[in-house]
Amino acid sequence: MSYSDVALGLILLGLSAYLLFGGADFGAGLWHMVSRRRSDKEVVEHAMGPLWEANHVWLIFVMVMTWTAFPPVFAEIMSAHWVPLSLAALGIVARGSTFVFAKAAPDQRWHAPIFGVSSVLTPYCFGAVATTVATGGTSWLSPAGVYGGVLTTALCAYLAAVYLIWDARRLAPDADVMLRFRGYAILSGIAVGLLALPGAVSFGVHSPLMLVSAVAGLVSLVLVVRRNLLAVRVTGALAVVTVLWGAAEMSGLDLDAAAAHDAVLQVVFVALGVGALILVPSMAWLFVLFQRGAPQQVETR
Amino acid sequence: MSLLLLLADAPGAAPVADAARGAASPADFMAARQQMAFTLGFHIVLASIGIGLPAITLLAEWRSLRTGDTVYAELARRWMKAAGVLFAVGAVSGTVLSFEMGTLWPGFMDKYGQVFGAAFALEGLAFFIEAIFMGVYLYGWDRLSPRAHFLTGIPVVIAGIASASFVVTVNSWMNQPRGFTLVNGEVTDVDPLAAMFNPATPVQAVHLILASLMVCGFLVASVYAVALLRDRKAGRVDRYNRLGFAVPFSLGAVCAPLQVLVGDWATRFVADNQPIKFAAMEGVEHTQAGQPFKFAIFEIPNALSLMLKFDAHATLRGLDSFPADQRPPAEVVRTGFELMIVMGMFLLALAAWWGLTWFLRRRAAGRVGELNARADLPWKPWFLRAATVAGVAAVIAMEAGWTVTEVGRQPWIVYGVMRVEEAVNPNPGLRFGLYVVLVVYAVLAAATISVLRRMRRRPEPAAPADSPKEKVPA
Repeated sequence: MSYSDVALGLILLGLSAYLLFGGADFGAGLWHMVSRRRSDKEVVEHAMGPLWEANHVWLIFVMVMTWTAFPPVFAEIMSAHWVPLSLAALGIVARGSTFVFAKAAPDQRWHAPIFGVSSVLTPYCFGAVATTVATGGTSWLSPAGVYGGVLTTALCAYLAAVYLIWDARRLAPDADVMLRFRGYAILSGIAVGLLALPGAVSFGVHSPLMLVSAVAGLVSLVLVVRRNLLAVRVTGALAVVTVLWGAAEMSGLDLDAAAAHDAVLQVVFVALGVGALILVPSMAWLFVLFQRGAPQQVETR
Repeated sequence: MSLLLLLADAPGAAPVADAARGAASPADFMAARQQMAFTLGFHIVLASIGIGLPAITLLAEWRSLRTGDTVYAELARRWMKAAGVLFAVGAVSGTVLSFEMGTLWPGFMDKYGQVFGAAFALEGLAFFIEAIFMGVYLYGWDRLSPRAHFLTGIPVVIAGIASASFVVTVNSWMNQPRGFTLVNGEVTDVDPLAAMFNPATPVQAVHLILASLMVCGFLVASVYAVALLRDRKAGRVDRYNRLGFAVPFSLGAVCAPLQVLVGDWATRFVADNQPIKFAAMEGVEHTQAGQPFKFAIFEIPNALSLMLKFDAHATLRGLDSFPADQRPPAEVVRTGFELMIVMGMFLLALAAWWGLTWFLRRRAAGRVGELNARADLPWKPWFLRAATVAGVAAVIAMEAGWTVTEVGRQPWIVYGVMRVEEAVNPNPGLRFGLYVVLVVYAVLAAATISVLRRMRRRPEPAAPADSPKEKVPA
């Protein structure tokens, strides 16, 4: 296995993490916009609060890895698709800033709708570009691009609903909220399944990953119905991330010719290794700290 | 029509190889440069606050832990909330810059992305750590013991300084490109560490970190200077506002004299390594012995040669000794440089006023130990009036200095190696991107300020009535 294979693997890993964590935050923004109930919105806000910025960094990781390890690929994708990618960047600006603004100044009512719209715009643009690149197409406005955008947005919504059932159970005062997110998860799960199948067929994907995705999706449905809320986080994530892996496999990227010099990749790998020693425990601590029920009232002054 | 053009990027999308042919129209080329300058100029202020605000928050929290003074704790909580909002805006405006590296400058990334990429990988790691601990610090106030909470803030400050330094290595590399060899136009022998630790890195990193601490310190202090003037008018004395002024202003005041020394180092570095930038900064038109020092309308004979080389008759190169197509727009560079110096001197004078008063009053009263904010510090209206504009002055100094660095490097994106027009995205329509960005950022700036003002107005919940001292670890 060459250095460039490792780099490609790391990029795919980063993309997977961004889809599973950052993507779920975008989906949560979609439910925040769709749901009219204050209690639903509060669950979304509480669940995203301390985590979304850390989840967002996976995107930075993917971009930096791509431009360091495969500079011509980065330059070509970014310059050819500068319009949807600039829209995605502005969507990220709008999403992130309105999320914190809405919390800091709750009486300003116009933050929430912008938060919702940009939470949909951003994954749509990313999905459209990714599908265009994977299918070797030219425009994000082509049918394949539009399909990819819609599918990605739907995947994010599904992931978010699946994760939020558990958050609703631990954060919301009454069980109705949990039941509603369960409903969202079932509905969006069925919708995503129906949306993903024709795509896989028409793009001619013959990967066992698609089978894994379909099975994991069905298992998740059962688990949601049976209220196995932590296990479904795993199977739901598997169902979604295998779509990404299948698309990556289908695109058949061979990037060896575009790879950076080994000396560069060596330095990057060492840096990542050392960084991971600090990052992984701190990340785990962050998640544990905020998934552990309501705040204990520790006196602070 | 123009909107259609903006959306329909794909059919005519030119492959990157075309970038070398410089297919972008002059209007799009200018728009790309303006968009980069504008978004970077915006982000640099937020990044400064992102470094400085956690630092002054921790200073206040540390004082509160040491003294049990609830006013410090109140200030720390307030600043932490503002830091949370500004950190988020800084994070997203920084993301835009990463996108622009590719959407605006693909030629640059295509060829040199791997040379400086490792620095961005390290920056990403540092930022990741910063974001994680920022999350813990912001939301952990009620979940951690006071001491543990204070300790989780320390990685935020360290990682913030580290990530800013890594980013600066890329800019310093653009000024002093190292760590690669060009063979027939192809990049070979890449040494990412040599690129990162190029000769310009130490001076640029120190200059920028000090500048960001000054920007944040003086900006926050100027908010409280306004409040103190209002208090004065109403005949009130509010310890909260006084300490809210003293902590950040002291940070800025400590950095100001250091920055003057580092600025001198930076100027000498540029004179030795980018003589054309130096000539533009100082307005040196012709090469001659015994260069005069020109400042605004003043001119002191031989002074520039004396200051730079300690020899009144030393010969310094002028702009005319460089080919016309390699000269930066000298007027812009010189104006930026003079503006930075004027603002820096103003801030230095304020810092001296503050520091001298502190030192002399304490010595006169024979006081040691804990600061007596009321008696030891200058609260004269003229000082406060000057301090209300200190924040703006620091921002102007930083933007002006950034202009000197960037415009002074023109027409190169990589000094002496790659011109900016070789780097720009050849696809049409970039100027429409600029218009959209300008609108979005104008709204973002207005919304950020509006939210911060609202947060200031909303009263904090009152401190617990019982004595705070018992709860603080000794």
